[in-house]
Amino acid sequence: MNEEIKIEDVNFVGGDNLKFSLLDLDSKHESQWCPGCGNYGIVMAVKNAILKLGINPKDVLIVSGIGCASKFPHYLKTYGIETIHGRALPVATGAKLANKDLHVIVVGGDGDGYGIGMGHLMHTMRRNINITYLINNNEIYALTKGQTSPTTPKGKKTASTPNGSIETPVNPMALAIGGGATFIAKSFSGDINHMSDTIARAIAHKGFSIIDIAQICVSFNPSMNFKWYKDRIYNIDDLPDYNNKNKSWGMIHALESQDDKIGIGIYYHNDDDRETYIDDLPEDEKLSLVRQDINDIDIENILDNYE
Amino acid sequence: MSLNKISIKIGGPAGSGVFTIGLLLSKYFQRAGLNVVYTTDYPSLIRGGHNTCCVRAENEEINAEVLNHDVLVALDDLTITEDLKQLNKGAVLICDTKSTFESADYQVLKVDFDKLLDGMDKRYFNTIAFGCVIGLMGEDGDMLRDALATHFRKKSQEVVEENLKAAQVGYDFAKEFCVQNNTGFLGRITKTQNSLGNTVFMSGNDAACVAAVKAGVKFVGEYPMTPSTSFLHYMAAHELDYNITTKQTEDEIAAINTAIGASVAGVRAMTATSGGGFALMNEAIGFAAIAEAPVVVFECMRGGPSTGIPTYTDQGDLKFVINSSQGEFPMVVLAPGDIEECFEESFNAFNLADILQTPVIVLLDKHLAASHFTAKRFDTSKLKVDRGKYINLSDEVLANNKRHEFTEDGISTRFNPGQPGGIYTSSSYEHDETGYTCEDSENHVKMMEKRFKKYDAIPKELLRPKMYGPEDADLTIVGWGSTKGVALDAIKYLNSDGLKVNYMHFVYINPFDNEEVKSMLDSCKDTIILEANYTGQLRDIIREKTGFYIEKTYFKYDARPFYFQEVYTKIKEVLKK
Ligand SMILES: Cc1ncc(C[n+]2csc(CCOP(=O)(O)OP(=O)(O)O)c2C)c(N)n1
Ligand code: SF4
Repeated sequence: MNEEIKIEDVNFVGGDNLKFSLLDLDSKHESQWCPGCGNYGIVMAVKNAILKLGINPKDVLIVSGIGCASKFPHYLKTYGIETIHGRALPVATGAKLANKDLHVIVVGGDGDGYGIGMGHLMHTMRRNINITYLINNNEIYALTKGQTSPTTPKGKKTASTPNGSIETPVNPMALAIGGGATFIAKSFSGDINHMSDTIARAIAHKGFSIIDIAQICVSFNPSMNFKWYKDRIYNIDDLPDYNNKNKSWGMIHALESQDDKIGIGIYYHNDDDRETYIDDLPEDEKLSLVRQDINDIDIENILDNYE
Repeated sequence: MSLNKISIKIGGPAGSGVFTIGLLLSKYFQRAGLNVVYTTDYPSLIRGGHNTCCVRAENEEINAEVLNHDVLVALDDLTITEDLKQLNKGAVLICDTKSTFESADYQVLKVDFDKLLDGMDKRYFNTIAFGCVIGLMGEDGDMLRDALATHFRKKSQEVVEENLKAAQVGYDFAKEFCVQNNTGFLGRITKTQNSLGNTVFMSGNDAACVAAVKAGVKFVGEYPMTPSTSFLHYMAAHELDYNITTKQTEDEIAAINTAIGASVAGVRAMTATSGGGFALMNEAIGFAAIAEAPVVVFECMRGGPSTGIPTYTDQGDLKFVINSSQGEFPMVVLAPGDIEECFEESFNAFNLADILQTPVIVLLDKHLAASHFTAKRFDTSKLKVDRGKYINLSDEVLANNKRHEFTEDGISTRFNPGQPGGIYTSSSYEHDETGYTCEDSENHVKMMEKRFKKYDAIPKELLRPKMYGPEDADLTIVGWGSTKGVALDAIKYLNSDGLKVNYMHFVYINPFDNEEVKSMLDSCKDTIILEANYTGQLRDIIREKTGFYIEKTYFKYDARPFYFQEVYTKIKEVLKK
């Protein structure tokens, strides 16, 4: 999975003419993921996207919850926050509102995002805050050793559903279209180029971007392996009527993409969908909150009102 | 009857403007130079029910509400049935002419509100009632105008004029009645200069909000819950003037987590809630403490969960808040007792959160959160923002990225995402000095010790209770938070009766100076603890931490604040035994 990708031809567009290489993004921490885990590829793809966009790593903040996927921030040399289960989105929202100059990327598992964190996901999409959310979707709870997740296919036997899951799984793409995200894509942990490109576009998108990444978990979901996915994946860009500016088109194809037929690609992408959350804030945000001086704030006129 | 001393109760169904009348009267008395205590009592309803408020005003320092009143304004008959029994001898009842109530014991002023409105918008009914109360005192019209103009200062001149007209109608009507029947309180209130100098009149929540603005809070995440909701309203109302991003989040979990995110990104951040919401925030408190992210949480107590007894007061969350942890970590819990402390200690809370890099929880209760008091206008000149070991984004480029570096005082330099050279991950996992997950036992021991060491950075003088009243008292009242007001009023009257009683007031409860608290209690001749809860939570905490057991107790758990007479009588009884 850990394919080499050539970066000689990456187009650097970073400010200050800074150039970064994969070495700059190397956290040097030894991985705690299983060999063959799809998360390796996703880290690589995020690195590629950062390099491709020429972003200074110090301006990247990766926010995660808890789970295998959520160990993510440690494997990149960028700023990170490892929060608690399901709460990465609100933490990321607060951080972005405090410092809008940061590129905030949220990473977590399907349990973290569609299970315990589902409420936050719906509201964050609705707000269209300019952050990117990657859901490393292995359709299982891995870190807790193999229980059913909100995306586990119906009928699947897991540690917590030994007789087969009887719940209908979440359809992430349909959910995101309904929820109001403005960049909605599906990718695959076994396709680094597709991920790198999609993540770079998502980061560059103005508004809330979400990418559900079909992620291989060799230990707790071994049946859904590389070959299993390869046999089922098709690229929605190849569809004759491809039109990702149109939500209805995206919705129809989202509903068509199920476990036997998995469409990767961008289901909806519209920079002009609406203003981002920060652009809509009423207060003067020319200067990020974190750069505003808080010494000697004058409150005498507030106190006058109480006299 | 002494001069410049009055207590007024106003009652009616929700939505009838009971509180508007109370606030107008309070403003009037404040402008007259008196000290004012304004309290409210209402069920969780939008229409109907029984809402009351009390306005107590005096020349002398007052801190609590009394049980007996000189005037009752009854906007419905239910108020007469419920509240008449609380009136002093010679009191005046103001009600509508439609009321069939008659009494030989009280002076009854029946007002034909419909007639007095005489074509005015029905809304002005409250202002007429306000005018009637002032008419009972026969004070000249200047103060009336002054109070209305200040109360409505944000409104148009037209609104002020209309209100003035309505107030004058009520005022003339009542004054005429009083002159003719030789009754009322003519001459009772005269304009004086408050000995405190310039005063402010505000609620505990307002005082805390003003402090938060002064402290430079930049991010507020909150979900509405009585009695903390006014934080959200206040901060949102000031978001433009002070560039404060104020967000109503989807729930309390998001509220505190957005605040933590903002804090890690480098700004001062806060949230406010009540017990039910705080329960949802629990896990994030642990996250903030382990990640060493400063955050200030205002917890305004009421009894019970989402429902409980939601619009009433209670001191039942103390042990819950102090123990709101998974595992152990440092957290400061403090409980201001009056609006000066709400202001000062809320400002301190932001400094302490930054200095200790840990959550600070400010505990209020509905009584202090929503009641209004006069106080000397706050002196802001000495308040200095202290961010502790914090590197601003515009400061130097860092040479190392040990965000959680082991240091002598346990406090490491804090820097934020975006800082060149400082890259690290802020984690709720146990971590090493750089922030990298580390579950090694030796490291965990060192990190635990580092985090708890930070308590030493709290100025010692904050950690001992404050004493009020005579030193060599025969009985010491012990209390915390909003019981301060009633305790101070009680000891004042008890002292003037020749009884030696003083008051020991806890603001900082977690941590406090165990040895100092023990020796202070040991040196008391006798002690009684006053708490608005069933189990005596501070009593338990004191016993747990010092071994000192306060035997005498006065626990009140009727969801109402302590009233002056109750405490005064109780202490007298105890002293007699
Ligand atoms: C509040 C809370 N509840 C439960 C857990 C236990 N827990 C840890 S990770 C996890 C689920 C992980 O699944 P997912 O988010 O899909 O991530 P994966 O491990 O599959 O990458 C759970 C339930 C926890 N850490 N915190
Ligand atoms: S358990 Fe699955 S998700 Fe977790 S590290 Fe192993 S392969 Fe990856």
